[in-house]
Amino acid sequence: MTDVYVIGAGIIPFARHEALSLTDLSVEAAFLAIKDSGLAPHRIDSGYFASVLGGRLFGDSTLGQSVFAEVGISGGPIVNIENACASGSSAVCLAYNALAAGQSDYAIVLGAEKMCVPGLGLLNSGESDIETKLGLVTPASFALRAQRHMYEFGTTLEQMAQVSVKNRRHAAANPIAFFRQPVTLEEVLTAPMITDPLTRPQCCPMADGAAALVLASGPAISHNKRAIKINAAVLTSGSYQNPIDLVRWETDQRSCRLAYEKAGMGPDDLDLVECHDAFTIAEIIHYEALGLCEVGEGGRLVAEGATSLGGRIPVNVSGGLIGRGHPVAATGVAQIVEVVTQLRGEAKERQVEGTKVGLAHCMGADRQGDARSCTVAILSS
Amino acid sequence: MPARLKENTVSEAGATDLLPPVQEGIFSLPAAGETGSPRLLGGYCRACERYHFPRERHCHRCLGPVEGADLGNTGIVYSFTAVRAKPPLGLPQPYGVGFVDLAANGLRVFALLDPDCVDDFKIGSSVVLAVKPLGHDGKGRPCLRPYFTLQQYPTESEA
Repeated sequence: MTDVYVIGAGIIPFARHEALSLTDLSVEAAFLAIKDSGLAPHRIDSGYFASVLGGRLFGDSTLGQSVFAEVGISGGPIVNIENACASGSSAVCLAYNALAAGQSDYAIVLGAEKMCVPGLGLLNSGESDIETKLGLVTPASFALRAQRHMYEFGTTLEQMAQVSVKNRRHAAANPIAFFRQPVTLEEVLTAPMITDPLTRPQCCPMADGAAALVLASGPAISHNKRAIKINAAVLTSGSYQNPIDLVRWETDQRSCRLAYEKAGMGPDDLDLVECHDAFTIAEIIHYEALGLCEVGEGGRLVAEGATSLGGRIPVNVSGGLIGRGHPVAATGVAQIVEVVTQLRGEAKERQVEGTKVGLAHCMGADRQGDARSCTVAILSS
Repeated sequence: MPARLKENTVSEAGATDLLPPVQEGIFSLPAAGETGSPRLLGGYCRACERYHFPRERHCHRCLGPVEGADLGNTGIVYSFTAVRAKPPLGLPQPYGVGFVDLAANGLRVFALLDPDCVDDFKIGSSVVLAVKPLGHDGKGRPCLRPYFTLQQYPTESEA
């Protein structure tokens, strides 16, 4: 196994980019990441492109080859990846594996989504899926966890709303975030209900966006002082146990444990976390899976401020999905762009002091009360 | 054309039209002229002694044969929510969904909950299966969907 590093990171603002195509968004993010790496593009010998909705909304296919060709990357293996919300981070895992195995020297990874189009509606896990046919929409799958978390652990509406307040406050300091205005606890609690008990600001907003990384294998980076090491990058899928426990999330816990094991680290080693806060309750459950607190204590952890910028273990200082916005396939890459920016000490107003180790966690799609895909990456400076 | 149900004695008013189910093989209805309740249908693997919903093509554990199974018509709510945003598939606004622990075999299944009493479900509520025309099949054609309703509707004083 060869060590693998991130040597370039690029991201464009997450917003409604009405005038830009999916290709426009993607090419810009790729350009920024390659420029940041300082590499000549022809030296990048493999590419991984993630988009979830490009095929469905625009009829695109194998868009990765077109996008990468526009920034001078061609000839080597390029694959197009769909793994729901974890598409971008799954692409990172595949690139990591190829580099660690010595199959490639430099890889580009890009996640991009254009989804602010009329009539898209609430996302689901595929139209032919039985649960979709029976009315499951993504916010409902997390509302069901929220109801259960409140019932079993006494988690409160206020504690869940604190996740929105925190992440919107963080997003206000992130120039690429979708939301730049903070919200108050009262605004979160009194906003329109999407699916009980999750109000609108507790659900991440859709956005258009793209993020990219250039990865390098160990021997190739000796000259690069801004290189950030990837200590672990794991991709898992659900186990679909029945009866499934919606709040002691086995797939979430197993994935985090696996990443810690591969990195030879634990929760006490982390200086910051980017996690998949598609909904407020999700962040609370991920705290527990990540071992930032005991199972059932996640609501109290956010309420006491431990996960705010300046707290014991800041979570989603980028604003997370709730503040930064969620262009589906871009999210998993954007999380790692944030961790890399923080570990380089280049995050300005939202910089976490003295960061050495950061973790990025992402999840995608529902099946039988479980996630279909989950990724956890640990990086260090 | 989706296969139509030969018999349809759904108790709800307005369900006398022969509508297709949202998916074949996930529930049964009492035969014409007979009383009884809809039943949830799934699969059973004899080797693993396990039920599943919906019926699997092959047992996912042993890849052995799967037979059809009656999964009963009652259960207990494990979790629930009311979806109040604009609904998909022509479902009512609001509508309910949840996980129900089936009384017959302990399976925890995702299910629609009665849109007429979305505010009355609780974790632990006893529920019974019903079937009626609910929403469309994704292509605008009305269809029958199974859903769980409360075994005992709250009285007015409780509500």
